[in-house]
Amino acid sequence: MTKYILNRLFHSALVMFTISFIVFFIMFKAGDPVELMLPPDATQQDVIEMRAALGLDKSFIVQYQKFLINASHGNLGNSFIYGQPALDIVFERMPATLELAVIAMLLSIIIGVPLGIISSIKPNSIVSRVIMFFSLAGISVPVFWTGMILVLVFSVILGVLPSSGRGDVFLFTSAFTWDGIKHLIMPVLTLSIFQLALILRLTRTGMMEVLMQDYIKLAAAKGVPRKVIVYYHALKNTLIPLITVIGIQFGQLVAFTIVTETIFAWPGTGKLIIDSIQSLDRPIVVAYLLVISFLFVAINFLVDVLYTFVDPRVRV
Amino acid sequence: MRKFIIGLATVALLCSAVNAKTLTVGVASDAGSMDPYAHNETATNSILSNIFDALIAFDKDIKTHPALAVSWTNPEPTVWLMKLREDVKFHNGSAFNADDVIFSFDRVKNWDKSGFKGKVSMIDSVTKIDDYTVKIVTLKPYPILLRKLTYISILDKETLEGKSDQWIGLNPVGTGPYKITSWSKGDHLKLDANLDYWQGLGVYDKVVFKPLSNNATRVAAMLSNAVDIIDRVPVVDVNRIKNNDKLNFFVQPGLRLIYLQMDQDRDKSPYIKSHDGKNPLKDVRVRRALYYGINEDAIVKFIMKGFAKPAAQLSPEAVFGYDPSIKRVEYNPEKAKALLAEAGYPDGFEIVLDSPNNRYINDSQIAQAVASSLAKIGIKVKVNATPKSTFFKETGKLNTSFFLIGWASSDGDASSILDGVVHTHDADKGYGRYNRGRFSSPKADKLIEESAGIMDPKARLKVLQEAQRIALVDEQCFIPLHYQVDIYASNKKVKFEPRTDSRIWAFDIK
Repeated sequence: MTKYILNRLFHSALVMFTISFIVFFIMFKAGDPVELMLPPDATQQDVIEMRAALGLDKSFIVQYQKFLINASHGNLGNSFIYGQPALDIVFERMPATLELAVIAMLLSIIIGVPLGIISSIKPNSIVSRVIMFFSLAGISVPVFWTGMILVLVFSVILGVLPSSGRGDVFLFTSAFTWDGIKHLIMPVLTLSIFQLALILRLTRTGMMEVLMQDYIKLAAAKGVPRKVIVYYHALKNTLIPLITVIGIQFGQLVAFTIVTETIFAWPGTGKLIIDSIQSLDRPIVVAYLLVISFLFVAINFLVDVLYTFVDPRVRV
Repeated sequence: MRKFIIGLATVALLCSAVNAKTLTVGVASDAGSMDPYAHNETATNSILSNIFDALIAFDKDIKTHPALAVSWTNPEPTVWLMKLREDVKFHNGSAFNADDVIFSFDRVKNWDKSGFKGKVSMIDSVTKIDDYTVKIVTLKPYPILLRKLTYISILDKETLEGKSDQWIGLNPVGTGPYKITSWSKGDHLKLDANLDYWQGLGVYDKVVFKPLSNNATRVAAMLSNAVDIIDRVPVVDVNRIKNNDKLNFFVQPGLRLIYLQMDQDRDKSPYIKSHDGKNPLKDVRVRRALYYGINEDAIVKFIMKGFAKPAAQLSPEAVFGYDPSIKRVEYNPEKAKALLAEAGYPDGFEIVLDSPNNRYINDSQIAQAVASSLAKIGIKVKVNATPKSTFFKETGKLNTSFFLIGWASSDGDASSILDGVVHTHDADKGYGRYNRGRFSSPKADKLIEESAGIMDPKARLKVLQEAQRIALVDEQCFIPLHYQVDIYASNKKVKFEPRTDSRIWAFDIK
């Protein structure tokens, strides 16, 4: 197991190193941030001085080398735009994104799994058909549209929910204040509709497949109560692929809340990264992508570990 | 007794809630930093103008008037004596005096990341005469000094000395009408009234700036009454705002000109295909043909939905240097064709028009419209729209033949576009940095350089106008398209007047 973990860590480090190089290179090639930062009436001398101040006058190799040396000390450089350490800015914005992703994911699981089970037991009942209809809609409707419709209905027409921003924050999250919760409702809904539908459908398919298998028939023949069969024997085996998907989807949620954050002016990392790419703020883009890839690596690792608990066959 | 106290507390709470007037402003872009020297761009300048003062301020019509400097004399052409206001305190209680002015000018000039060096490049020295008088010496006679001074926010020496860039970037200490209470980047900036402000108190006790960068989000916030004012109303939503009887709607002519630059330097331009292999844009008749051949009225009507003003010259009317005698030529494709034929291109030529697609209002659509206009006079234009980061990089390398770009005369003076774009490119003298078509007219250059030293406004105006006439009318250095306008919306509780410099200055809002 130790060897396995060490191996995984080595691979992860390699992945992150590669990502840093690629992102650094792309941002280096993308354009000159100084050109965008200084006003048009700045002189050529000002441009040269600003480039030197930000270290952009050096060659790519020298810049990347300096980045690697600093990064090995945990310093990913200062943002060109904000002048603050890039990692600090990313972490400052991370709670806002994480709370959206976590709450949306929990909501999707809590609602999606039971609904999936219900619709798998009696796939042809009216209830199942209604559930499946809405899940199809949930998977097909674009996030942007859902968000705008929610804003139109609940903010503009009814005026009951705030259209944008994050509410009062307590202990890093807005989920503990009433004002915060009101601000959370629409972004969380927008974000979870797709996930909910996806989890629901996966649960259903998985359950239907498992319920067909011989050991389920055997259990039924032995007289095991239906409830125990469904919620213990069958569900447990359905969970295996589901956990993988939930893991990947959670990473996706964190990394791609961009659209939702833009619609609701949510001060998370998605909005930060878009702004930073547009202003060529390389330190932030690199820091953000490193943090996100670390997150993906960590989630994958966690999923693998969880697997071994759910499915003894893959135990190392 | 207990009930009484609770009752009292409730009443007190209610009173304070009623009395504390809050103004919430939804802005398209957040401030980049709380350090007033970090970014010279409109959104940051606008927000920070509520926190900081400069020696001189612009009024809403971009005319200069006294701020932290009460009065000044100009005993010699290069020497300015400025008398400072004596009753001013910074937000942390520290007193304002000449040392702060000297500290500020030193930092703006010498801090390696300062974005405002261009505003003080002509200042040779700033020295203290006494606690409330400073002497500013310029390198040459400098008629636009006062306009430049409006950009230099005054910082507190006692507070800032020895502080890191990071600290200064988060902790603004100014003398302005509002002081910071909290800033969460991308979410809100909360300000409280500065009770000691030297101009007295504004109507609002609290001001909140909310960055709402998505257009639809900003409009939804206005429609749902979550904010009191929004800036940059997208033209597609104008009717929704206009037809809402709970909202006011404002249009303010801006300072930004949208125009086309042309490669007028190289004999062979990289993105032009002509029958003789030469660069037709070197011929003034061809340049003029393009001007006649673009249907700007249609662009304003269909692409800008009426929210732009066709431009006849380099800067709008509010800017010093405007020449009322220059009018835009009428759209005339016949004349354009005749001019092309005269120049030896009766069948036109092929050219690529570069344009940013995320910098100016509807930028790439304008470029498309220019292309379809020019198609009618036989010029095949291919539009190459790219994000601003690519666009400015490529045009900076002159990897272009024809491009759409904007220029804001943010000093309110024509010298900025004349120096920066019209004058022959000359890195040593600091002229023509944005002259990426490499237009060059020795006659205009001479006038531009001469105008920099004329202290008499009337005489200077004449020279600026003459320089523009030569460059634009005689030589057709660029093709002006239109001036952008700023569009705002507010609810009816708020009395708001837009400013020419596009800033939202809460102190004036009632």
